[in-house]
Amino acid sequence: MITTKDKILSAVTKPTRYTGGELNAVMKNPAEVDVRFAFCFADTYEIAMSHLGLKILYHTLNDRPDTYCERVFAPWTDMEEEMKKHGMRLFALETGDEVTHFDMMGFTLQYELCYSNVVNMLMLADIPVLAKDRDESYPIICGGGPCAYNAEPVADIFDFFMMGEGEDVIHEVVDEYVKWKKSGKKSKRDYLEAIAEIEGVYVPSFYDVEYNEDNTIKSVTPNNPHAKPTVRKRIMKDFDATYAPETIIVPFGEVVHDRVMLEIMRGCLRGCRFCQAGYIYRPLRERKPDTLLGIADNLLSCSGYDEISLSSLSTSDFSGLPDLTDGLLEMTEKKKIGLSLPSLRIDNFSLELMEKVQKVRKTGITFAPEAGTQRLRDVINKNINEEDIIKSTNLLFRGGWTSVKLYFMIGLPTETMEDVRGIADLAQKVLDVYFGIPKEERAKNINITVSTSSFVPKPFTAFQWAKQDTRDMLIEKQNELKSAIKSKRIRYNWHDNKTSYLEGVFARGDRRLCDVIIKAVQKGCKFDGWGEHFNFDAWMSTFDDLGIDPDFYTARERSYDEVLPWDHIDIGVTKNFLMRENEKAKKAATTPHCRLRCAGCGAKSFGTGVCYE
Amino acid sequence: MSNYILKYSRDDRVKYISHLDFVRLFHRTIRRTGMNFMFSQGFNPHPIMTVAQPLSVGVTSESEYMKVGFDGEYGEEEIVETINGAFPPGYKIIAAKRVGGKEIDLTKLDRAVYTVELEYEGSADIDELLKNKELIVMKKSKSGVKESDIRPYIYWIEKLSEQDGILILKMCISVGNTYNLKPQSVIDAMEKYCPDFKAGFMNVHRNSMMCGNTEIL
Repeated sequence: MITTKDKILSAVTKPTRYTGGELNAVMKNPAEVDVRFAFCFADTYEIAMSHLGLKILYHTLNDRPDTYCERVFAPWTDMEEEMKKHGMRLFALETGDEVTHFDMMGFTLQYELCYSNVVNMLMLADIPVLAKDRDESYPIICGGGPCAYNAEPVADIFDFFMMGEGEDVIHEVVDEYVKWKKSGKKSKRDYLEAIAEIEGVYVPSFYDVEYNEDNTIKSVTPNNPHAKPTVRKRIMKDFDATYAPETIIVPFGEVVHDRVMLEIMRGCLRGCRFCQAGYIYRPLRERKPDTLLGIADNLLSCSGYDEISLSSLSTSDFSGLPDLTDGLLEMTEKKKIGLSLPSLRIDNFSLELMEKVQKVRKTGITFAPEAGTQRLRDVINKNINEEDIIKSTNLLFRGGWTSVKLYFMIGLPTETMEDVRGIADLAQKVLDVYFGIPKEERAKNINITVSTSSFVPKPFTAFQWAKQDTRDMLIEKQNELKSAIKSKRIRYNWHDNKTSYLEGVFARGDRRLCDVIIKAVQKGCKFDGWGEHFNFDAWMSTFDDLGIDPDFYTARERSYDEVLPWDHIDIGVTKNFLMRENEKAKKAATTPHCRLRCAGCGAKSFGTGVCYE
Repeated sequence: MSNYILKYSRDDRVKYISHLDFVRLFHRTIRRTGMNFMFSQGFNPHPIMTVAQPLSVGVTSESEYMKVGFDGEYGEEEIVETINGAFPPGYKIIAAKRVGGKEIDLTKLDRAVYTVELEYEGSADIDELLKNKELIVMKKSKSGVKESDIRPYIYWIEKLSEQDGILILKMCISVGNTYNLKPQSVIDAMEKYCPDFKAGFMNVHRNSMMCGNTEIL
């Protein structure tokens, strides 16, 4: 039989993005559950299906007999056109049903540039975008993920946010939903009041924001007795025992991370001052090698994947690494499975390990010095020095590697042109290391790639008060660097500064931005993270139309006594600590990592992890 | 090492999977079964398999063939059951046959029967169409799009039904190395040679693939 679905799917690229039915996708009868939950990711299938959090929450929700969690992703623009042509609304992959009257929708907010897609998805679902316009017949819409820590720019869209790790809190909010539904779903407010009592839950409509005349925030005050003055993030205290799914969905088409991802630890002990992940996931917690080997064996068997990758913020800091890699190598060699080890610091141990892992092929190696001079690396507390890089590249080149990528940021606080030129000097020194090795002892054809991204100050970092470089300034620095690179063996890539600018606006934005986002989507903005769709002019004209100056969010150095839009959120790391770190940064003074000496960041209050080793 | 010919089907649920994605999917399926596959040598060892006449995206089938090699001996029934237990829903092994040498040569598959369901306007007289000495249509080949006479490669076409603007045809046409003809080209010829016939959206299903008029499994 010829169906509308066939006509639509035959007309779009990569139709398996929309068919569902993959191995280990969960099939249930929706009539037999209390809660239909749509796990939403506001980007393409390939990106969404690479996200570890989705895999965890999807399966933990589906382990409940009373809940059916399905996946909902942003349709690519060709699919959106076909959907509109055929009057089809946003649908869930498992059942193909429209999400319009699901019980709950949960968006994971992984990056600021997905906000336009969130709004666009709601429009495609025919769901009112603003929370206040949705009555009890529409899904309750919640959000989580790193951007939830300052979700003020989308606060008017969401009913609530969950701060921190979701494995437990998601069940608590679903439990409350079941109670509310069984009591007849009288008023949405009842539900929100019930969950506002749960630690980690933030109901933005329960807080009033007042502004000063200069547009800075005067106060954020709870307007509901159930809302707490500050909302504290949730973490999994016993990470070793934290839920790991028994199975994973295996996509039909190729996705970005098409492999088993083994989450070896959460959090990072390094304390790089620009890094939001380094602060918000504190304290560092590890799984035991034995636990991990069990998870790995199970996921490889149930998926049939031929590759496994370790997932963490800094693999080398994992204390059980030798035991884990020995066990994994035994497993992967037998089954002819590839093992990838991202985020390794290069030393003799890791080099030996890499030799074992990739017996023949020497792929590229990436270093992230982040800044070109030692002074600036000290400012950002990036614990890597020139000697490390020289020593490790020497080892690498002698080991047969010939492709080195160096990642930097430009626009870091206190950066001067000298620091920018330092990037070129460092790349040159790496090249000199290669040429300093006798020809017989190195492989041919060296190539070095220097990449720069533009620094975007993020909430809950030591640089949350900092001024972001203007686009003109960034372009000047990129040009300076281009002309400072002399060798043809060094290639330079840089990141577009327009997307960084918009990212900077949203990262530290407030509730006044919500209208801008909705208006921009009405003008056609979506997939802002995709160069071919990003329409900077449309965004700028929208700011203009609404009389909002985007520079207000990026170009200002904030004072310590300014009320920040995210001050009512508590990540465990204290504002005082961040201030201290910012002051030390100004003096280029470093802070040792957690295992060397506790810096007193505040995360110890969670009572677990590296703080108690 | 032991070689097997597998006959398998795929239904609506998985018909949009491309050939390359199917190959990856099959590798993973075999890994899940825990059976010992023959692996290729090289940087990325992968199971050795050959698929006969890969299906186009969007087409369902109950008659696909591939040849696979195992390290060790397995019963034919055992192979069917084990792989079916590990396949994603929508794929199914119908039969497996152990082969020693070249008694079944997949490259010899030369014709296939398809059921084509299509939206249309006007009318098409199939008997008249097939009376043409030649049917020239534009056909894609490695060197680009060019004219080609497809008449010699159409063995028969049968009209199964025609109502409410939906025409259902069954056709036996050439596949394989000599001449690979797709049902779409036959529909193109109908549009060109049948006055006032206009085709719309179509669904294609492969019923069988044969050497001459014999099913190989």
